[in-house]
Amino acid sequence: MLASKAFELIKELSRGNSGSLSPYNEDCIRQVLDEMKSLYEQNQKDVSDTVAGETGLFSGVQVRHAALERNKRCLLTYLYKRLQIIQEMRWEFGSVLPMDIRYNMCEQEISWFNRYNKMLAVYMRSIGDSGLDLTQDMQPPKSLYIEVRCLKDHGEFETQDGNIIVLKRNNQHFLLRSECEHLIRQGVLEHVTN
Amino acid sequence: MLVKDPKKEFYDKIQHQRVLILVTFDVDALCACNILQYLFQCDQVLYTVVPVTGKQDLENSFLENSEGIKHILMLNCGATIDIIELLQPDDDVCFYICDSHRPVDVHNVYNGVQVKLLMKDEEMRDIPDYDDVFRDDEDDESDAESNDEGEQLSKRKRYSDEYILKRRERRQWEENRNKTLFEYTQFSSFGSSAALLMFEIAWRMSKDTNDLVWLGIIGVTDQLVHYRISREKYIEDVMTLQSHVSRHNFKEGPENNQPINSLKISFEDELQLTLYRHWSLFESICKSVTTACKFKVWSMKGRKRLHEFLAEMGLPLIQCQQKYSAMEPSLRNNVKELIQKHIEKYGFAPEDIVIPSFNAQYGYRNKLCASDVVLACCALLESPQEKSQNATDSFFQAMDILNRKNTKEMEEALNMAKKQIGALASQVQTFLDMQQVMSAGPFLYAFVQEGTLEAKCLSKPQCLQRLARFTLEAYSAERRSKKTQYLPLVLGVPLDAEQQTSLVIGIPPLNLDDERKNFFGKAFEQAAVTTNSRTLHNYFDNYILQMNTEDRGKFFDALINLLQVSLSLSLSLSLSLSAFICASP
Amino acid sequence: MNSLNQQSFNDSNVDYDEDSEEEAEALTAAEVFAKLEEAWLNEKFSPELLEAKTEIVECIMDQIKVMEENLLKCKKDDMKICIHKMELDRIRFVLSSYLRIRLQKIQNYTAYYLNIENQRTDKQASLFSPEELKFAKEFHSSIDKHLTELAMQHMPSILQNLNDNLSGNKPDLDCYVFLRVNEDTDSVVIDEETTETGEETVDFQKDEQHIIRYQPIRHLVSSSQLTLI
Repeated sequence: MLASKAFELIKELSRGNSGSLSPYNEDCIRQVLDEMKSLYEQNQKDVSDTVAGETGLFSGVQVRHAALERNKRCLLTYLYKRLQIIQEMRWEFGSVLPMDIRYNMCEQEISWFNRYNKMLAVYMRSIGDSGLDLTQDMQPPKSLYIEVRCLKDHGEFETQDGNIIVLKRNNQHFLLRSECEHLIRQGVLEHVTN
Repeated sequence: MLVKDPKKEFYDKIQHQRVLILVTFDVDALCACNILQYLFQCDQVLYTVVPVTGKQDLENSFLENSEGIKHILMLNCGATIDIIELLQPDDDVCFYICDSHRPVDVHNVYNGVQVKLLMKDEEMRDIPDYDDVFRDDEDDESDAESNDEGEQLSKRKRYSDEYILKRRERRQWEENRNKTLFEYTQFSSFGSSAALLMFEIAWRMSKDTNDLVWLGIIGVTDQLVHYRISREKYIEDVMTLQSHVSRHNFKEGPENNQPINSLKISFEDELQLTLYRHWSLFESICKSVTTACKFKVWSMKGRKRLHEFLAEMGLPLIQCQQKYSAMEPSLRNNVKELIQKHIEKYGFAPEDIVIPSFNAQYGYRNKLCASDVVLACCALLESPQEKSQNATDSFFQAMDILNRKNTKEMEEALNMAKKQIGALASQVQTFLDMQQVMSAGPFLYAFVQEGTLEAKCLSKPQCLQRLARFTLEAYSAERRSKKTQYLPLVLGVPLDAEQQTSLVIGIPPLNLDDERKNFFGKAFEQAAVTTNSRTLHNYFDNYILQMNTEDRGKFFDALINLLQVSLSLSLSLSLSLSAFICASP
Repeated sequence: MNSLNQQSFNDSNVDYDEDSEEEAEALTAAEVFAKLEEAWLNEKFSPELLEAKTEIVECIMDQIKVMEENLLKCKKDDMKICIHKMELDRIRFVLSSYLRIRLQKIQNYTAYYLNIENQRTDKQASLFSPEELKFAKEFHSSIDKHLTELAMQHMPSILQNLNDNLSGNKPDLDCYVFLRVNEDTDSVVIDEETTETGEETVDFQKDEQHIIRYQPIRHLVSSSQLTLI
């Protein structure tokens, strides 16, 4: 069926659950592009045939053109949506992505990610005179310090006042909220609420 | 050094400092830690909590976490070891020790700068005088001696009267020192609960809340449940807590004007039936130490007597085997009175079956008595681990259920506690059925068979403590002879089948119940040294040790020898044993 | 406690000119913060990007700096410190959140807003702050480049234009919003005249609260006669 491969890409997108990125489906994309190419060639042929005087090809051309448009739309949606997911990940994980996510990205996506990183950094630096890190303060603050529990061995961590804390699995710490916000989002620490 | 004013000497000192809190795996320490966390959060003192399983763990945790930290707080660990010697800290590091283990190491007592003891003044009376254990001239003397060696001139001096006198005086002092030290350290016992102490600090700073009182109560109850303190000491502490409870739970005006989900603590005489609110009455009676032993529920005759007792109270068996919460309300509401009224006939003293305790209620469903929480928390702390899990995982799970909002976790923990107690009771039954409790002369001993299902969940120190006690009481109820009252028990349980290790505990005889003093610490140490057994004295309770199962034979021979001497001389360890121990380095 | 507050707030009576008119108006820090809060709420609940409040942002940034400096001067164990730090954290949160929401909107409908910006006459205020505009352009071109590299350039030539795809994406101005009225406004048209029904108008009175379609009242939000809640 026409444009079925492209539809597959869209289905793949909607299957993916939030917080993960499915592998870049280069194979499928190539097939879609190939299909577009052959559709287009067929259309060109038919158009030139029509110009040459043949009749009855027009509806075929229109269907193919609609399929072309659909393919294009699906393809762009697929790529654009992936960029949006990557964007969200930037806010979630910071400027360095976990390996398993990086692994699922294609080369261009990685370079786009780096470019996005850069423009975000430029923007955040330009706020006011001294810049403002917008990835901080994601939740409304309730208290200055929070109690956190270490979920994995993370190694040494330097606090603002220059102390070094060893983050080791199953230790509990009472730390400045602003300092551990990143680590909580990375899943190294867990906020203990009581 | 003993801290006289905890606010000034402890709390004010650590303001705006980072504090490292080292906590052992017992419920009391957990409660104390929880109280501290609350206080520190109020005052924004930054801290790190690290659970430690034993002495080795203590060393490792200290090394890992001590960077840049000047204040270290130890909860229920560290008092009995010379902490400065063990950890070799920098000169400006200060240790605050809040530990119920006794005796406190004399080095800790007399180190005025780096070691601060958070303990009750009146419990520190029997510490040897400074002059008896330390001698300032020690160094000069040995220096002088070595210098003398080469010099001819001084040879005369060595034989001079003055010198001999000095030597003799010194030898006498040393003898005296060894004797004092031995007398001081021969028994291990327990002082006031760490949680209670922490609560009192909070109270003195007017920062106590109803929740903190409850934690204090759980701490004290833990000490009773694990036979750490005598009934008298327990009641004394309970009375102290009771005044706090009534202060916090005093309601003015009409009752019920408090929100239903606030914590209400009430002081009550509590049936000493394990977890009975969460079990069936019948199960609970069969699995509680006192009732199980008095009725001898493991024998047919005993069962019959129990049925008789229930019948006499007018409780249908079917109701008793029902979940307690599903019992008919008219019966359930009278259970306590009925039991108290009828049980004397069956040879119980009133204090065998009830004990003053506390109940906490919040919300509609959750009514817990202090010992329920202790058992649940303990079951979580000592839950059998899979290979992948870390021992410390369970620590924070246990800590979480102390927070009363986690009711679901609490329920799961109670189920685990029931399982653990079930395993305990069935192990006792096995011991009795198979007659596995043997007499070695001066003491009784028993071993849990390797490979049994129970072994896995019993091989934890706190649980072992309860098993040992249960076994000893059951055995002595089974044997009519009075002699069993005077015999201590040594109990072993396999720990690791691959490495061939087992966990061994020694508990004192029943007749010394009032003192709760345990002499096995020293005896184990001695037996291990003389026989070169591969043992590991890693626990802060020195009467529990790990040993290589192969060495069991020779270790026990030595232990028998050691205790035989003492047994012939009036049961508590005697001076002859003291001489024996002092003779070895 | 008051002294520090006063001090830090009075120190920074920054000149703040509203609506880029000539009359310079001095506002206290508390008032600036109230303005930020209003801008934040409006931004949060409106479906479209609102006018950039560059002055407020700058003013608050200065404010934060001053407060941070003041805090450094204080003694460490002061009770005031905690409260002020907390205050600072809250201000910073509102500011970050405000800017984050804007950034999110810009990212979602880049082409749409850039179009508006391109058609803007000099008299109209820009939706973007200069920094945001720079970001938006960069963002837009990066997406363009990405899509071209991966798909467009491999497509047949007549399909190689992007315009209809990205700019087709625009915010839903017909969604319903909650609002509170700041000043009395009479006969606001909320439903345009159609063949079947007449024009529908509503009189807003101060402190009333309404739920209403966004489109008809959007001009009132930007002139701050209404606040979205």
